[in-house]
Amino acid sequence: MEIVVLIKPIPEAESRLRATPDGRGPEPEGIKFVLAGYDESAVEQALLLKESLPGSSVHAVSFGPARCEETLRAAIALGADRATWVEGPPEGSDDPVLAARALAATLQTVPHDLVLGGKQAGDDEEGIVPGAIAELLGIPSFGYVTDLRSSGPSGLTFLRPTEAGVEQWEAPLPCVVGLQQAWNDPRSAKLPNILKSRKAPILKVDWPTTSTALALEAKPRSIGEKFELPAPRTGAKMIEFKTPEEAAEKLVRLLREEAKVFP
Amino acid sequence: MTPTVLVLAETSGGLLTGPTKEAIGVARTLAGSDGSVAAVTMGGPSALEALASFGLKEVWMADVPPEAATSGAVAALAAHAADESRAALVLLGGTTFGRDVTGRLAVRWGAAAATGVTEVAITGPEEVHVRRPVYGGRATESRRLVGPRTVIALRPHAFAEAAASAGTPTVHALDRSVIPVTEGAARRRSLAPAEPGSGPSLSDATIVVSGGRGMRAAENFHLIEELAQSLGAAVGASRAVTDAGWRPTSFQVGQTGRAVSPQLYIAVGISGAIQHVVGMVSSRTIVAINTDPSAPIFKVADYGLVGDALTILPALTREVRKVRGLPAN
Amino acid sequence: MPDFSLTPEQESLRDAARKFARAEMAPKAAECDKTARFPEEIYRKAWELGLMNLNVPTEYGGSGLGALEQCLIVEELAYACGGMTTSIIANCLALEPILLGGTAEQKSRWLTPFCAEYHLASFCLTEPGGGSDAAGLQTRARKDGDGYVLSGEKCFITNGPHASLFTVFATLDPSLRSKGIAAFIVPGDAPGIVRGKDEDKMGHRASSTSTIRFEGVRIPSTQRLGSEQDGFSIAMRTLDQTRTPIGALATGIAQAALDHSARYSLERKSFGKAIAEHQAIQIKLANMAQAVHAARLLTWHAAWSIDHGHPSTLESSIAKCFASDAALRVADEAIQIFGGYGYMRDYPVEKLMRDAKLTQIYEGSNEIQRIVTARELLRQYG
Repeated sequence: MEIVVLIKPIPEAESRLRATPDGRGPEPEGIKFVLAGYDESAVEQALLLKESLPGSSVHAVSFGPARCEETLRAAIALGADRATWVEGPPEGSDDPVLAARALAATLQTVPHDLVLGGKQAGDDEEGIVPGAIAELLGIPSFGYVTDLRSSGPSGLTFLRPTEAGVEQWEAPLPCVVGLQQAWNDPRSAKLPNILKSRKAPILKVDWPTTSTALALEAKPRSIGEKFELPAPRTGAKMIEFKTPEEAAEKLVRLLREEAKVFP
Repeated sequence: MTPTVLVLAETSGGLLTGPTKEAIGVARTLAGSDGSVAAVTMGGPSALEALASFGLKEVWMADVPPEAATSGAVAALAAHAADESRAALVLLGGTTFGRDVTGRLAVRWGAAAATGVTEVAITGPEEVHVRRPVYGGRATESRRLVGPRTVIALRPHAFAEAAASAGTPTVHALDRSVIPVTEGAARRRSLAPAEPGSGPSLSDATIVVSGGRGMRAAENFHLIEELAQSLGAAVGASRAVTDAGWRPTSFQVGQTGRAVSPQLYIAVGISGAIQHVVGMVSSRTIVAINTDPSAPIFKVADYGLVGDALTILPALTREVRKVRGLPAN
Repeated sequence: MPDFSLTPEQESLRDAARKFARAEMAPKAAECDKTARFPEEIYRKAWELGLMNLNVPTEYGGSGLGALEQCLIVEELAYACGGMTTSIIANCLALEPILLGGTAEQKSRWLTPFCAEYHLASFCLTEPGGGSDAAGLQTRARKDGDGYVLSGEKCFITNGPHASLFTVFATLDPSLRSKGIAAFIVPGDAPGIVRGKDEDKMGHRASSTSTIRFEGVRIPSTQRLGSEQDGFSIAMRTLDQTRTPIGALATGIAQAALDHSARYSLERKSFGKAIAEHQAIQIKLANMAQAVHAARLLTWHAAWSIDHGHPSTLESSIAKCFASDAALRVADEAIQIFGGYGYMRDYPVEKLMRDAKLTQIYEGSNEIQRIVTARELLRQYG
């Protein structure tokens, strides 16, 4: 199975977010971008599938600025066989539909039985890319997937928890899957593989190529205007109490009368 | 300017779902007195009655069994309805289904798109502004969506549900031939309905009670469940709990689990590692119960109780039941 | 001018170590310290990722890293737990004699199977009769046919209770002092090895330490490293290599103490403001930051000297000695900043002080480091 896994560099969980000086977006300067969250799970899932299906390969693909290269190397260190960086526009863009168009233009030129991604990116949380890519490639797509398994050479089974309950699906290949499931212990890269990944080739699809292919669609239509951080929480109001009953009574009163969130 | 706003309506048990009613409410506001609100449904005739009671003028209807309602099939039908209704904007509820369709529909229909939206305004002939939380609720962004067409999935619970309003809609049947043949091979094999009485799901709930390592043992976790039940809340857990196997990973709140933003989040015996905090910090009110006064959870909480969860929880459950007039357990 | 920037390789190795340290080690550090548990699951995982045999060339299944890379990794690990780090890097110390003194055949015979699986090794030099006086060691190697018989006792042996391989230093003739010492590879299951009880230590409690007694352990001469006179030189050259990572280990502890202190000082209020606003605390924090910074730079410089093949005895002695003194001082100040809370086991800083203390003692006490430093220094004048 030719597995493509879509990944995006996102700020480390501990990062201190702030806005750019013009206030329009998150400041990337001073932030460490990593492979994490749902994308890290997607890489783990891709590698598990590859290991269970001899002859499979995993191709990591990332769209955006130059920092994608580091994230792709992280995927190679974990066991991805190939990596492609689809360069974003020089002025930057976080329009998920544009990202999907650029990625799909590249995917049309590479083998793909299964295109895997996280159900949403850990930063913008749009969750638009997997479905949009599938529509562009003309193949089915399934978001919010858990328990993904191969059911032979041409199909998949998976579960999807929805508001109504847990759905069980069968799907054909090729298709696009956005993973809900997160492994708490995705593998870590071994040091020798990290060193090898530094020397691995990364195929670059430059922006002019993509831009030409997309023609009129190469312009972002979702544009960040303002990036705001909430006022930092000042710390909890501590409730003093002598007995558990007093604690319960005081808390319920505050939730009813002050916070007004008691059902 | 007379925009038509098209709502992708979902029904459950013959009734419109909460997120769909929220979308109708938003659509009415956006359409204003000049514009109109239409709906598209996959639910066939049984959905019509539900839609009629919300005063919709026009309804585009297809009858797609849930077993075949892939995002590709729904997006194709919804795009067709959007074209026919000359809509400028399609709104979807913030459900798994709605969010899954958004990206496909945007491409199919040639629209700009955004999900998880908490504020939306039409600001020009080809311009919509949205606000949405990002980075697990640690920040909020405003985006400008440009072009004649826009698809927006709302964030659940961010808007009030529309009130019922009687009407008789004009019904247009949608031709299923627009569905790409490639969609035919995917099939939903089964649906295990959420257990009745199991309470709301984590992402739906307006209250979440989560337990962590401070619960000390799996045997004590029922105290979390009893409090949740008394509040009509969903149960969550920290990674320590799911790692220890006290509860399955589907309960996990945080960076590698679910991100939730309920009205009230009660963190019990959870220290507040950043990986957990990013999944719940956008909750409106946060209560923390922990034995360690220096636990970082108290920095993000609104109300803090320093003490042993195993003694505080039963008292809290009793108090909640008493105040809510529920029989004592 | 030297270049202080790390290569992308070095940065990604450091990031991997940091991730492991924070995700795997840190959450269990307090528990293992409290209960003196040897967290084998963490050590196995460290081995799986290649964090254990850092100095062993990749051809034998190690990670094949230079001194600077080792230091970057060790500092990150020690930031999470000094004791676990001691156990994780003990293999580097124990295997270095084979790397320095072993023939190609000995290396592939012993290192390859050892590194291919999770195994611990111990370096056996120190004896109950004297730690710093290595030339005066008493463990005997008696010639016996085509081999040797080892008798004697070694103490404070890191990972001693768990090791499956020992590198042992023993004398063929105590009257020859350093010229009489030979080094041996001893498999952990050799008959006659008696492991002592796991010592109850002040710090580094996630690591385990014991005596190892050799009661007539027979060793074929193929397991001798170098000549019968090479042992002392192998031991000293080994310590020249491994002293610098101890500087990095101490730096990691010191950095943790500084981070805890700075964060706490911004939260803790006294006299109506955060204590970080009091100059008394600011001066402490500044002194701590100076010490951490200097410790790191000295360690990097010593590692750089090793990696470039420059003489490094002076540099590594200075780095190890300064960084370990700095770690104890910084941890001590951290407790002072935390006040009464700092003295409590529920807060993380008193462990740092206990862990820091050992770095002044092991792998050549700081007194020995100063003697070495003075000797190297005076040589330049005399």
